[in-house]
Amino acid sequence: VVSQNKRQNGPGSSPPTCRSKCGNCSPCKPVHVPIQPGLSIPLEYYPEAWRCKCGNKLFMP
Amino acid sequence: LLLLCSSVSPLGDEGKALMTMKASFRNVANVLLDWNDVPNSDLCSWRGVFCDNTSLSVVSLNLSSLNLGGEISPAIGDLRNLQSIDFQGNKLTGQIPDEIGDCVSLVHLDLSENSLYGDIPFSISKLKQLEYLNLKNNQLTGPIPSTLTQIPNLKTLDLTRNQLTGEIPRLIYWNEVLQFLGLRGNLLTGTLSPDICQLSGLWYFDVRGNNLTGKIPDSIGNCTSFEILDVSYNQITGEIPYNIGFLQVATLSLQGNKLTGKIPEVIGLMQALAVLDLSDNDLVGPIPPILGNLSYTGKLYLHGNKLTGPIPPELGNMSKLSYLQLHDNQLAGTIPAELGKLEQLFELNLANNQLEGPIPHNISSCTALNQFNVHGNQLSGSIPSSFRNLESLTYLNLSKNNFKGRIPNELGRIINLDTLDLSDNNFSGTVPASIGDLEHLLTLNLSRNHLCGPLPAEFGNLRSIQTMDMSFNNLSGSIPAEMGQLQNIMSLILNNNNLNGEIPQQLSNCFSLSTLNVSYNNLTGLIPPIRNFSRFPPDSFIGNPLLCGNWVGSICGPPVTK
Repeated sequence: VVSQNKRQNGPGSSPPTCRSKCGNCSPCKPVHVPIQPGLSIPLEYYPEAWRCKCGNKLFMP
Repeated sequence: LLLLCSSVSPLGDEGKALMTMKASFRNVANVLLDWNDVPNSDLCSWRGVFCDNTSLSVVSLNLSSLNLGGEISPAIGDLRNLQSIDFQGNKLTGQIPDEIGDCVSLVHLDLSENSLYGDIPFSISKLKQLEYLNLKNNQLTGPIPSTLTQIPNLKTLDLTRNQLTGEIPRLIYWNEVLQFLGLRGNLLTGTLSPDICQLSGLWYFDVRGNNLTGKIPDSIGNCTSFEILDVSYNQITGEIPYNIGFLQVATLSLQGNKLTGKIPEVIGLMQALAVLDLSDNDLVGPIPPILGNLSYTGKLYLHGNKLTGPIPPELGNMSKLSYLQLHDNQLAGTIPAELGKLEQLFELNLANNQLEGPIPHNISSCTALNQFNVHGNQLSGSIPSSFRNLESLTYLNLSKNNFKGRIPNELGRIINLDTLDLSDNNFSGTVPASIGDLEHLLTLNLSRNHLCGPLPAEFGNLRSIQTMDMSFNNLSGSIPAEMGQLQNIMSLILNNNNLNGEIPQQLSNCFSLSTLNVSYNNLTGLIPPIRNFSRFPPDSFIGNPLLCGNWVGSICGPPVTK
């Protein structure tokens, strides 16, 4: 039922597939990266976003 | 004529503007040495000044992190060809001059990390080329000018950590170009407008730590471009809408609001979630077992709610989980053995719930575990000896439960522990000497158990220890002289035991010791009459009938006056 919902634009999300998102570089894998709001005081954690990673390079999914 | 002019002043209008700006700054002596009104001075070579190669007009000013004080002169408006201003990380005060609106070519404006005050000038809306506006970490007041919406190419708007008031202008949401909206840490009021989802190019939405009220709009699911949605630490009320399940976010931060109702099951379908924080709200009902589907989530925070029911064993399927914080709820039942599957778990906090039964042996498989806290439950059984496998543990808190049995010797192998708190349980037997091997231990609390036998002399090896509480046990024997080696100890609490013998003179070598309690034991002899011991009050020593001190009522103190 869930997968059918998704096909019909139902709720839910998935990590990016990162297929051909790293240019010629491979393998291209989805990773969590912390987005630092750049504050001087420490936070309990940074917000995180998905990026595609190949070697040590990051690409937008 | 040109020659004549230049002989009067070698600098053109832009040079004069820069010199006026220099005069308005403070602490320029060392950093703007080459900004100088002398013949043959080439302003394009001045520090932080960058010119166009052909027109030689100033296009960029980069004076970031130069410790500049003073104010930004209105003369900045004379630099008509400026495309980039970066004054980030100085000590600039005063207001942002209205004249900045005259720098009509500006694309990049960064005045962040200064002490600028006053309103954000409306004139900024004249900067039609502006793509990047960063005024973060200043002391700006007043409203967010609604005219900011007249900047057609604005991609980044960062007003984080100021003292901005009023509502977020709704028009700001009707911007298809804006990618980053940082309003965290202001005094903004009003509600979350349903219009926020008109920001069709936005990936970062952060209004954390304001005074926003009202509900999360039902239309929230239309914000499909958002990667980060942070509305935490406001006064948002109502239930989490079902439509939240349509978001594609990696971070969903709703903590520190007044959200009510249950955790919607649909959240279990949001597999793109890296961080889910619903903590410190008024959420009720069970933790939906379907959250176990979130197999890419690294951080799950549900603490500080009124959640009931069991911890779903399905959470053991969240194979990427590193932080699981469920403390301060009303969760019941046992700790599921399935949590032992969480190989990346770094922090597990289940404190202050109504959990019962033993700690499953499987938890010892969580070898990445750094912090384990089950304080304030009704857990029973003994400490699994397999806990010695948790070599990464730095924090172990089992206090205020019904644990019994001996304290296993193996705890001494968890060499990175900085906190060991087993207080307020029914532990019995002797104190293992191996605890003395924990050389990084800062806090040791074994109080309020049924421990017997002596204080191990090996405790003298706890060279980092700051706080040691062994009170309310049945400890006997004398206080080991080796305790005098503890150079960092600030608090030594040994009251309500059966300790006997004399207080070792060596304790007066513990120069950091500021709190001592040896009351209600069977200590005898003289209180060491030296050094820090003179500053401990009689309360530190009372209840030792044969201990001799100079307080009223002591066997060798001043007589009781009638």
